Amino acid sequence: MASSVVKNALKAIRERGLGNFFRELKEEGYLNCLSDGNLLQTKIHNIGAKLVGVDKVGNRYYEKLDIQYGRHRWVEYAEKGRYNASQVPAEWHGWLHYITDNTGDELLMLKPKRYGIEHKENFSGEGEELIYHSKGHALNPGQRNWTRYQPWEPTKA
Amino acid sequence: MGLGMLASRVMRPTASKLPRNLLSHFHIRPIVSTPESSAAQAQPEPEPTPPPRAPVAGARVHFKNPDDAIEVFVDGYPVKIPKGMTVLQACEVAGVDIPRFCYHSRLSIAGNCRMCLVEVEKSPKPVASCAMPALPGMKIKTDTPVAKKAREGVMEFLLMNHPLDCPICDQGGECDLQDQSMAFGSDRGRFTEMKRSVVDKNLGPLVKTVMTRCIQCTRCVRFATEVAGVQDLGMLGRGSGEEIGTYVEKLMTSELSGNVIDICPVGALTSKPFAFKARNWELKGTETIDVTDAVGSNIRIDSRGPEVLRILPRLNEDINEEWISDKTRFFYDGLKRQRLNDPMIRGADGRFKAVSWRDALAVVAEVAHQTKPEEIVGIAGQLSDAESMMALKDFLNKMGSNNVWCEGNGVNTDADLRSGYLMNSGIAGLEKADVFLLVGTQPRVEAAMVNARIQKTVRATQAKVGYIGPAADFNYDHQHLGIGPQTLIEIAEGRHPFCSALLNAKNPAIIVGAGLFERKDKDAIFSAVETISKYAKVVRPDWNGFNVLLLNAAQAAALDLGLVPESGKSIESAKFVYLMGADDVNMEKVPVDAFVVYQGHHGDRGVYRANVILPAAAFSEKEGTYENTEGCVQQTLPAVPTVGDARDDWKIIRALSEVAGVRLPYDSLGAIRSRIKTVAPNLVHMDEREPATFSASLKPDFSHKMSLTAFGSTIENFYMTDSITRASKIMAQCSALLLKK
Amino acid sequence: MAFTLRSVKVPPNSASLEEARHRVFDFFRAACRSLPTVMEIYNLHDVATVSQLRSTVASEIRKNSHVTNPKVIDMLLFKAMEELGNIAEHAKQRHHIIGQYVVGRQGLVQDVGTKDQGISNFLKNFYNTNY
Repeated sequence: MASSVVKNALKAIRERGLGNFFRELKEEGYLNCLSDGNLLQTKIHNIGAKLVGVDKVGNRYYEKLDIQYGRHRWVEYAEKGRYNASQVPAEWHGWLHYITDNTGDELLMLKPKRYGIEHKENFSGEGEELIYHSKGHALNPGQRNWTRYQPWEPTKA
Repeated sequence: MGLGMLASRVMRPTASKLPRNLLSHFHIRPIVSTPESSAAQAQPEPEPTPPPRAPVAGARVHFKNPDDAIEVFVDGYPVKIPKGMTVLQACEVAGVDIPRFCYHSRLSIAGNCRMCLVEVEKSPKPVASCAMPALPGMKIKTDTPVAKKAREGVMEFLLMNHPLDCPICDQGGECDLQDQSMAFGSDRGRFTEMKRSVVDKNLGPLVKTVMTRCIQCTRCVRFATEVAGVQDLGMLGRGSGEEIGTYVEKLMTSELSGNVIDICPVGALTSKPFAFKARNWELKGTETIDVTDAVGSNIRIDSRGPEVLRILPRLNEDINEEWISDKTRFFYDGLKRQRLNDPMIRGADGRFKAVSWRDALAVVAEVAHQTKPEEIVGIAGQLSDAESMMALKDFLNKMGSNNVWCEGNGVNTDADLRSGYLMNSGIAGLEKADVFLLVGTQPRVEAAMVNARIQKTVRATQAKVGYIGPAADFNYDHQHLGIGPQTLIEIAEGRHPFCSALLNAKNPAIIVGAGLFERKDKDAIFSAVETISKYAKVVRPDWNGFNVLLLNAAQAAALDLGLVPESGKSIESAKFVYLMGADDVNMEKVPVDAFVVYQGHHGDRGVYRANVILPAAAFSEKEGTYENTEGCVQQTLPAVPTVGDARDDWKIIRALSEVAGVRLPYDSLGAIRSRIKTVAPNLVHMDEREPATFSASLKPDFSHKMSLTAFGSTIENFYMTDSITRASKIMAQCSALLLKK
Repeated sequence: MAFTLRSVKVPPNSASLEEARHRVFDFFRAACRSLPTVMEIYNLHDVATVSQLRSTVASEIRKNSHVTNPKVIDMLLFKAMEELGNIAEHAKQRHHIIGQYVVGRQGLVQDVGTKDQGISNFLKNFYNTNY
């Protein structure tokens, strides 16, 4: 197995050149593996696993049925640096947590077009402007205007 | 052992403790009677008549002829009613409210909803009480199992095809069907099939339709034909395919169309501007009056917080019955747009700058002092209340000027005789007339409620209507006699065929439009009208048919207070013009170097020429007295707070007078009203109609030459007549859609 | 019980006016030191500055400059400490602070003084409000 990995790598270098190869390595998060054991483990897991789907932000969902039941589905986040569980959109959550066997792509069909809103990850601690503030909050950018009348504006210059 | 026995046992030791001689003197009654004794007591009176109930909703019995009284029994209680009343009305007098959908006291009887079924003795089946005349000695039972079962059955049929829309229905909370299904309906239905659905009709920008909710009571159809006088609505189809609609795809073109919202017992016809805005139980109702025309319709302003959310009519038999015009009902969104909220001064560069009241008043007072008294002019707008007009007049008089008038009244109007500018027969009195002569007035656009009265009279008694003026659209039969004074002269000289109609009439009524006030030959026209009224006996001790139909809410009170200018040319030489909400003044007449103060609530025409703007309160935000065209004095009450930094009109003038050093002696509304009392005592008698005392015949005869220019139409756009309605989006929509030729 | 009492420390009464005066200055200093935090937690940067708030605190203190009884000063100081504690602990909401210390009780425009001399109550009231 390891030899096939090396073979594939050499093939990629040959095809795309060394610079491109390293850029891809970086984009795929292999460089982060050096400091992030978690990611490294995921990458190692991915070898030989079945790629079930990729969601719209680029998270990749894998399944390997010959490992222990309950550990056989996992996700490799598109975000290699600051990934967290809330980056999994709603439609994939069920599959990932063994709630359903329908993949996210299948469930996406059922999403109501009219009022189903886009999934947003949890931005806690990422800065005031990203956090949800209720409509009355002083930091809510869309501050409600409570004036119930529209004043006359002197238009003439 | 009963409770009584227990009690008497407890009582016994106490009683035995009493001295013997006391017991022998007084008969001690047992405190609790035993069941046997109470039953024995009840036996002598076998069936007590139930206590009389108060009539429903203040229903009154009016006996035209005492011999016509008949007696019927409602639930065993005898009640006297005049002949010809229906069973339902008899029940109302007896204080029993009969559920109904199709019956409406002001419309003809349809009898198609079957909700008002009651049991009548010796009748094999339940009887639809709204369509059944009461007969002498009839024994009506409204509370028997038969009647209850009948109602329950009818309700089940009605609900069969009625959608379960209550949570999303605008009528929810004030729905007759909702209430009555609670009171008289069954707790379950047996209908399992699909409900029918009906395509919604487009009735224009005011009335929203959800026709699936319709229960085919046909109230709206009858209203359109009988009250509004348009044949737009009708019933199509049969059986379950029955639906209300306009026969061809068209909008409802009546100026009273909004009233179908009120009479619709379900949520099939609701207000489009009010749709999904509020629930009726969240609203605060303020009983006030309407100022968009001179009728002074009684309205209820429903508000939530600082917002006026809708306007509904209030019952007033003498003025608007229970209808209001579309303008009155839907102009309220203008109260939220284009509002003046800060005092503003126009700077040297021609831009307005918001300033404080202190600065604005100081500037106005200074300029007023620098102007010569005869160059000061004050004009009250068409929405001004009597209090502020009184203050304006007093203020300008103290400044030394007497040039103050109310727009729309013209410059040479005679304010001495009230009969010369009032509707002397009263609005309700028009129903007695049998011939109408409309001179230069189109009541349909000038005062829709007066028009509804004329329409009602024409429909009920086939009264003749003659009309002099530009070609106009009437919703009743009329003769178009001519377009100008020429015809009027012909009638006055007795050469016109319509004269015979006038002469044969029992109660002829002449209605003169207030638009004629602005004409130069106004006096000649009025003396011609007077000639007619003399030979046609229009003014008699028992009938005064000489009417002037005013245009604006402020006009009558302004004339009562004597707001007439000293000279007709004063505005051309003015240096200081005080506009109190006056927007329809011809601004080109005002000299370029004149200093114009605009006090008002909307940024309308008057603002653009102003040098200083003083924000005032609109009629929904202040307490003010208004006199309508028939001389009935009514007052508005504040429903919502003023916007921004605005102040009540009379307060602004009072404050300005103090800054200008001619302090007016009143600090409160009560004080200003006692000042009004010395000028026009009738203006303080609220909700009373004070008829003019002297008849118009006392007026000196004028022999001016009448110009032969035809009468113009005074109001071009029914929906936009004043600053509030011009600011309203709904009114703009209406005029775009409904006035399309 | 003892646990709650510990936080509200009641200092011994000031012996003299001089001591009370010092305590007032100590309080003012404490208040000024807490102002940056207050600005931060109530998000006041767009409506006020530290120096504005500082002068508000000073004027609140000056309002009582006529008080000479050290006991009364102690009482006022206690109330002031309590208020400051409440503010610093975020026991209030933003609009409380804005209403009480930024806008003030008389409104933003404090137009009092010589101008209003000799005018009637009606006019004074007219300038303030419609009602």
